[in-house]
Parts: sequence; structure tokens; C-alpha cells
Amino acid sequence: MTLGSRTGYLFVAFPLAAITLFTLAPTVVGILASLFDWNGIGLPRFVGPANFIALFDPSSDPLFWRSVANTIAFALITTPIATLAGFLLALPASADWFVGRTFVRTCLFLPTIISIVAVGVLWRWLLSDEIGPVPHVLRAIGLRPPNFLQDGLWPMASIMAVQVWRSVGFAFVLYLAALSGADRSLTEAAAVDGATGWRSVWHVSRPQVRPTTAFLLITGVIGSLQVFDIVMAMTAQAVSSTTIVLNYSIYDEFRQSRLGYASAIGVVIFALSAAITAAQARLLRERSA
Amino acid sequence: MIRPPPAPARVVAHIIVYGVSAFMIAPFIWMLLTALKTDREAINSQLFSLPSWQWENFPRAWESANLARYYWNSTVVALVTTVFGVLHNSLAGFAFAKLRFPGRRVLFWTALATMMLPAQASFVFAYLIVSALGFGDTLQALYVPFLASGFGIFYMRQAISAVPDSLIEAGRIDGMSDFEVFWNVVVPSMWAPIGALAIFTFVFSWNNFFWPLIVSDSDATVTLPLAVSHLASGRYVSSWPVMMAALTIVTMPLVVVYLIFQRAFVRGVAMSGIKE
Repeated sequence: MTLGSRTGYLFVAFPLAAITLFTLAPTVVGILASLFDWNGIGLPRFVGPANFIALFDPSSDPLFWRSVANTIAFALITTPIATLAGFLLALPASADWFVGRTFVRTCLFLPTIISIVAVGVLWRWLLSDEIGPVPHVLRAIGLRPPNFLQDGLWPMASIMAVQVWRSVGFAFVLYLAALSGADRSLTEAAAVDGATGWRSVWHVSRPQVRPTTAFLLITGVIGSLQVFDIVMAMTAQAVSSTTIVLNYSIYDEFRQSRLGYASAIGVVIFALSAAITAAQARLLRERSA
Repeated sequence: MIRPPPAPARVVAHIIVYGVSAFMIAPFIWMLLTALKTDREAINSQLFSLPSWQWENFPRAWESANLARYYWNSTVVALVTTVFGVLHNSLAGFAFAKLRFPGRRVLFWTALATMMLPAQASFVFAYLIVSALGFGDTLQALYVPFLASGFGIFYMRQAISAVPDSLIEAGRIDGMSDFEVFWNVVVPSMWAPIGALAIFTFVFSWNNFFWPLIVSDSDATVTLPLAVSHLASGRYVSSWPVMMAALTIVTMPLVVVYLIFQRAFVRGVAMSGIKE
């Protein structure tokens, strides 16, 4: 197939140029820029690790560690819960005796396709203290609900709950596919050996969907380290110290034209994603060994 | 055969799964019903009564929020991104799967590596590059960076690898050029993955918030997610029914398309999970 040599370049030229120009080059420059002080207009000034030192020093940037803690908490709480819920729902839904699988899949997957911004605005209203239906119902049954959007840790808890709500369907759909394609004979053999119910789930179904679990956990955590849209929508763009996340910090620094500092936070997210992915990949490998 | 669990267990399982499903769609039904209420009905003790069907909330939302303009912007950006993004990624995927040229492995791995790069590490300079190219605050700025993607190239390469080489050779023997082989032989057998990638790209573009937030600076470039965010960012929203009508207008196209092309949709959005 030597014929194709010139057209091969032709076909990949534009896509690769676009990727290089808008993803690869900006990432490389961004990593380098974390070592400079630059407002985007004048000449960049080399400052070495000064941006990182300022970032890590609570007296110069009191919000950075909060934003790290909030982001990590968000990623490590929402991803496993949504993954587990998706699995537990897919177990009965993938069984032969389940009625209305397609209908259930339609419902569960719906929140996944809708803009996070729209979902966030919708939930902000559903939870709002004075007019929201959720506090209204809670009061009607005699509870005294907190102000979900303002009191203490509740804003972050509400954001996490909505994130779980909107991402369960994604895990559900992938598990449904994995369980439907799973080898039935194993479950049958286990049943003959007396393993039924939860023991069968734990020893037969769970190992069979391990690749799906690994995929969901790793991509889920990486994705949620970049959380932004849902926080902006549910706080009405008034992000506070209890809801600040790393991606918001970058956006904020970018708006103030502190480009070197913004890039330094970008490098931190990059490093966090890489570290958590490596740790998870290792954990999952050890368990399967 | 495995014995199914006893009837009570099956009933309970149905109740739980259907209950969660109801919880997933309830907010949207609530949104729809509230969009049809008067302002008073939406906020006082009539919260749980049926609306008085205020259909005029929809034209009110459409006009007061200037949605026509943003709808146009979102549609242009999403369509251009989808049509050209899928075309470019498919062509590159075809080249990487079926054509031989020096350096193709290195180039493919370069494309693949960009899949792992978080946008946070690149958006600052991507924005500066887009501005330097003269796209600042134009619709081009919103779609040009997405006209190709490492993920799309990777996905199409994997799919096109399954086309038998003998088919490609047969096309060549018939005197087709490489592009004709791509267009007449590869594309007709690739509609499923192309559809999945198209839906994935369209949903991503239609819902994209971060990049327009960075780039858009005027009504000429504001897209729907950005408009919704602006609309809701005031301390007080003047009319919740109108707000909900706006949300309904913004989300409905995707919901309708989803209900029609459900299987392709689920495949498209979930396709990043397809095992290799």
C-alpha cells in the first residue's frame, strides 16, 4: 500500500495541525508559563518556582488549599457513589425477568445528556430556601431543613448530590451493557455450587464487570477533578470559600490576567490527575491479581 | 438455568429501579409544569397544584432572554463542529488505519497523547492563539479549536481498522483515489460509529460552557449554556416560570433528538466506555 503515502499526509495534515495548535502547543507553553510572571501584555518575567511557592503558602493564597480539598472531596465522594449506584441498579435491570429495561434506561440516562448548566440552575431553584419545592416538602413533613445553598457545608454537599444524580445514568448504561454481555454460564455454575443472591453478585458479577468499574472510576475521578460548570450554575457564579474548586481558581486568575499563576494551578490539576490515575490503576491491578 | 429470585424480591427490585428512574425525570417534569404557571403559582402555597397553563411564558422567555440570537449561535457552532469535526477525524482515522506513510506511528501517538491533556492546562494559551489568529469574539473562535480531536481520531481509527483490507484493495484496483475509497467504500460501512461520534460531538458542543465563557464577549458569540448562566446569575430571578420556560426551550431539542435516536445516543455518549 505504498500508493497512499502522499494522501496519508494530506488526510492527517489539518487534524494534526489543529490539535497541535489548540491543544498540544498551549499545554506545553502553559507548563512553561507556570514558571513566569505574566499579565498577557508586557514581557513575561522568569520567576522560577515562585508561583508554586506562593500557591502552596497559605498566608499568600489562603484559598488554594481549600480549593484543593474541595476538589478532591468532590472527586472521591461523587465518583464511587455514582459508580456503585449504577452497578446496583444495573444488576436487576440486566436480569431476564426485569420488565421495561428500555424505559428505565431512557429515564436514567436523561440527566446525562442535558447541559450541566441547565441542570444546575434547575436544582438551585428546586433546593432554594424560600421558594424551592424540596425544602417545602421537608417542612411539610415536620423537618427543619437547612438552607441547602448557603449554610455551612450544605452548598458543597448539594453540588455533590446533584453530581451523583446526573452521573448515575452513565454508570448504569455501561454496567447494563457489561452485565448483558457477561458470561451466563458462570452465574449458572455458581448457582449449582450454591452461590446465589449477594454471594453470586460479589463473586461472579462483580469480577466480570471489573474493566467497566476501572474505566468508570478512573475517568470519573479525572473528569471530576475538572469540575466547574455545576459549581458555577449552582452558586449562580457566586463561588465562595466552601464551594471553590481548582478550576474556578484558574478561571479567576485568568480573569485577573495573572496568566503564570493560572498556569501553575493548571499544572497542579494535571499532576493530581496523573497521580490519582496511577494510584487507582495500581490499586485495581493489585486487587485483580 | 438459574432460578430467578423469588417474586417478592423481584417486585422490590422493580420498585427501587422504577423509583430511581422517576427521581431522574421528576425535576424535568417539574420544570415543564412550572414553565406553565403564573409567578404567584410558582412560589406560594400552590407549589404543588397544577399550573394554569400559561403558554405565553414561552414567547416571553424567547424574547426577553434574546434566545433567538443564542439559539442561532449554538446551532451554528454545534453543526459546524459536528460536520467538520467528524469528517476530519474520520479522514485522519482512515489514514492512520489503512494508509502507509513514514512517521504515521509517531503522528498517531501524538494525537493519542492529547486525549489525556486536561483543558485547564491549555486553555489560557489556546485563548491567546485563537485571539492572535484574529478569531477573538467570533463564532470561529468557538468551533475552530474543536474541528479535530485526539479522541475522535482514535475512535475512528479503531472503527475503520475493522474494514477488511481486501475491500480497500478492490477499490484501488477499480481505479479509485484514496479519497474515493474513503468516501465510497469506508464511509458506507461506518455509519454506526460515525453516528455515535456525531452525536457525541454535537452534545459536547451544544453543552460546552467553559470555552465559550473564556472566548465569548458579546451577544454575537454567546451560546445557550452561557446565556442560561447569565440569566440565572442575578441575586434574584424576576420570574421563575419564565426562567423555567427558558430552560425548557434550551434543553428540549436535545431531549427530543435523544428520544428519537435513543440507541445511537446512548452509544454515542457512552462510547468512551466501549472496551477495546
